[in-house]
Amino acid sequence: MPAQLAPITTATRTTRALGALVGLVTVGLLVAGCTPTSSNDPVGEPRSSGTLTYASGDAEPNCLDPHVGGNFPQGMISAQYLESLVSRDSSGQIIPWLAESWTPSGDGLTWDFTLRGDVTFTDGTVFDAAAVQANIAHLQDPETLSSTGYLALGKVARVEAVSPTVVRFTLTEPDSALLESLSQVWLAMESPAALERSQDENCATPVGTGPFVVESWVKQNAITLVRNENYVSPPEDAAHSGPAYLDKVIWRFIPDSASRYAALQSGEVDVIDNAQPDTIVQAKQSDSIEQLDSPRPGASNRIELNSGQAPFNDVRVREAFIRSANVDAAVSSLFQGTATRSYSALSSVETMGVSNDALFDYAPSAAEELLDAAGWSETDAAGYRVKDGVRLSVEFPVSTNQSIPAEQSVFEQIQATAKETGFEVKLAPMDLSSWYAALATNDYDAVSAPYTKVGPDVLRILYHSDSIVPAPSGYFANLAQVNDPEIDELLTTAAQTADEKERTSLYAEAQERILEGFYILPLYDQQNHYLLRNDVVGLRTLPTVAVPTLYDAWLNR
Amino acid sequence: MLGRLGVRLAGAVFVLWAVASVTFFAVRLIPGDPAQAVLGGPGSQASPEALAAVTAEYGFDQPVFTQYLTQLGRLATGDLGRSYALNMEVGPLVLAQLGGTLLLAVLALGLAWVIALALATWSTRGGRVAARVGSSLEIVAAALPHFWLATSLIVVFSIWLGVLPPISTAGVAGLVLPVFTLAIPLAGFLGQIMRESLLIALESPFVLSARARGEGARGVRWIHALRHASLPAISLSGWAFGSLISGAVVVETIFARPGLGRTLLNAVTLRDVPVVIGVVMIVAVAYILMTLLTDAVSRLVDPRLRLS
Repeated sequence: MPAQLAPITTATRTTRALGALVGLVTVGLLVAGCTPTSSNDPVGEPRSSGTLTYASGDAEPNCLDPHVGGNFPQGMISAQYLESLVSRDSSGQIIPWLAESWTPSGDGLTWDFTLRGDVTFTDGTVFDAAAVQANIAHLQDPETLSSTGYLALGKVARVEAVSPTVVRFTLTEPDSALLESLSQVWLAMESPAALERSQDENCATPVGTGPFVVESWVKQNAITLVRNENYVSPPEDAAHSGPAYLDKVIWRFIPDSASRYAALQSGEVDVIDNAQPDTIVQAKQSDSIEQLDSPRPGASNRIELNSGQAPFNDVRVREAFIRSANVDAAVSSLFQGTATRSYSALSSVETMGVSNDALFDYAPSAAEELLDAAGWSETDAAGYRVKDGVRLSVEFPVSTNQSIPAEQSVFEQIQATAKETGFEVKLAPMDLSSWYAALATNDYDAVSAPYTKVGPDVLRILYHSDSIVPAPSGYFANLAQVNDPEIDELLTTAAQTADEKERTSLYAEAQERILEGFYILPLYDQQNHYLLRNDVVGLRTLPTVAVPTLYDAWLNR
Repeated sequence: MLGRLGVRLAGAVFVLWAVASVTFFAVRLIPGDPAQAVLGGPGSQASPEALAAVTAEYGFDQPVFTQYLTQLGRLATGDLGRSYALNMEVGPLVLAQLGGTLLLAVLALGLAWVIALALATWSTRGGRVAARVGSSLEIVAAALPHFWLATSLIVVFSIWLGVLPPISTAGVAGLVLPVFTLAIPLAGFLGQIMRESLLIALESPFVLSARARGEGARGVRWIHALRHASLPAISLSGWAFGSLISGAVVVETIFARPGLGRTLLNAVTLRDVPVVIGVVMIVAVAYILMTLLTDAVSRLVDPRLRLS
């Protein structure tokens, strides 16, 4: 690929040299010398050629088959070569994909999916009801070690082929989230013939029906995808039909945020993900770089207060903490306008989300009164509240893998403002394994954990009391330890209710109870910013889990 | 001769055992269930069945000391084991990444020597100002952290001047910035030592006698004094090689280069004990070999060592 460099058009030699000096002194001013380039040619007809280089900031997956494990990096790459039974459009409606239509039975326990009859996997295997059956079996097989897909299929008892194009799902109880679950890339369809190979082989070259095919994977270097010339099955909301425009996609991993952006600026790569707030702000000043902001679905990013133990087992102390935290100021200064404050348990892309900003006002004096009322009325020498000789401390383990630097700084701001009210917030940055361990041993009072899932059923996973019961590993999803029979009832009923209106109102009621119980402090949506060179046209994210799709993308150069 | 070789060999085995043991316990005693870490990338949640399967498969339910002995037994037979996270044998995995890092380290060591030699000879010859400039440059270079240097080089040479790629590419161009990033601080260290010993050597009686025998100024400097002055730097190169490999962790991450450093970083994050031990063992072996090599080179350069 010819290196395309951002020309420096306006800066003179002297200012450049001066800039070089400044840059050598301050790494923070990384891209001060980058000035806007002249604007590009107007967009014409899509051209069917070219190689796009994508640079991901995520960890390189260990397996390219998202059935195995099932995390976000796997989802991003596999959306280029795997497709699901259904998808979701930007309005939140479930739309056909590999399945043309579906009919649930009256009791909601059997679902018949009618499949497209004209699709083959890229290894030549026919996509039919038996293939769907094999995929669900693969996901439910403990040997596959599926996490995300396995959980999403929790209510699926049996899958059978009624005819080559009709597949029937039989459930143990009604599941209003079934379509949302099946739309996720972690439950995408793979060639049954390919699945029969060893797991090592299938991890290296999974075979799907998507617009690209995995050609090679050189670990720690790049994954190469080539166009599927026989592609016929774009989802309804795609911009074109037929094969993809790009000949080839090189998928790289550049963990360092500054190098990733430098590679984009120098034209070494065309698209980057995980753009950090400082980078996005810099990119806004560049005419050659554009931004794509696509918040992830499911839960918002929020701080969960552990209501299962002191001090947060008292709702007054939880409210006092929330009122004492000046989140708005922290978010606007540290995210520099790239993130919008959330007042909801759900992501802003979830149409059933309920938002209530009145509950999260910064009100230190109210917080102090609440602490007085809750018996935390004494103050020690360091200025922290004390009750029965115990200091009002909040253990807050922070996963450095999951919380970006700006978010860790937000926590520090919260620590500083909560201190004024008398909370001692003990932030403990740690790596992922130690963080899981701290949660498993109940060694936390506050924690922030992301959770991506399509649809409001994520509420049941996060706030139903069943999710307090730890798995054998000790991990549980209900980190706020919400244990409210009324919330349980609402979430269970909602998960079984097919009627959209009723479902919406049940989830609304559950969310109100969660917010009013001050179990969580919402911060913002799960951030998902992409930056791309402005000659990359047609890149979008799938409205299911906000992973990028390169199917409609082409290079205007 | 044989006796000395035996002592050396025993020393090497001891070092390898110590390295393996310390690494094993360091990684395993950090809290965290390795099974959870293996399955639970950010955002995914392992099912109980998957965790149970992994725990049984890798023997995480055994006492830590039993796991240590199993690991040690395997290592003794030359089996580096299987990666927890990557689904492949550690041996081929590490060997596949070794080349890239070795290339980086060898080139950086070579470049550091060239820079250090140039600086030392120039600054000892050019009078007081040159000496001062030379020693300041060495101190600054030696103090530069790799991550800062790497980002600065990227800003200048990739973004402003646009002459070198900011990330690793197939050709030689992609190697330039990483090699310079590793070489510059090392050149500072080596240069300081060389200049000092060069100054001492130039004032030594043997230089005077060489001059008296009719050797020219250049001959004295390049053949007699430098030979003497390079000895400390040669023995330091063994250590330098080890430090280059640890520097590779940072450099490979920033420049997105495949290599041992990145493998090690990923493995530590994932608690992938076999890979961590595998990488550390390979680095230890390389370090031991390099020390032997610098010993041999010292002997070659300094005849006095050959007699003892």
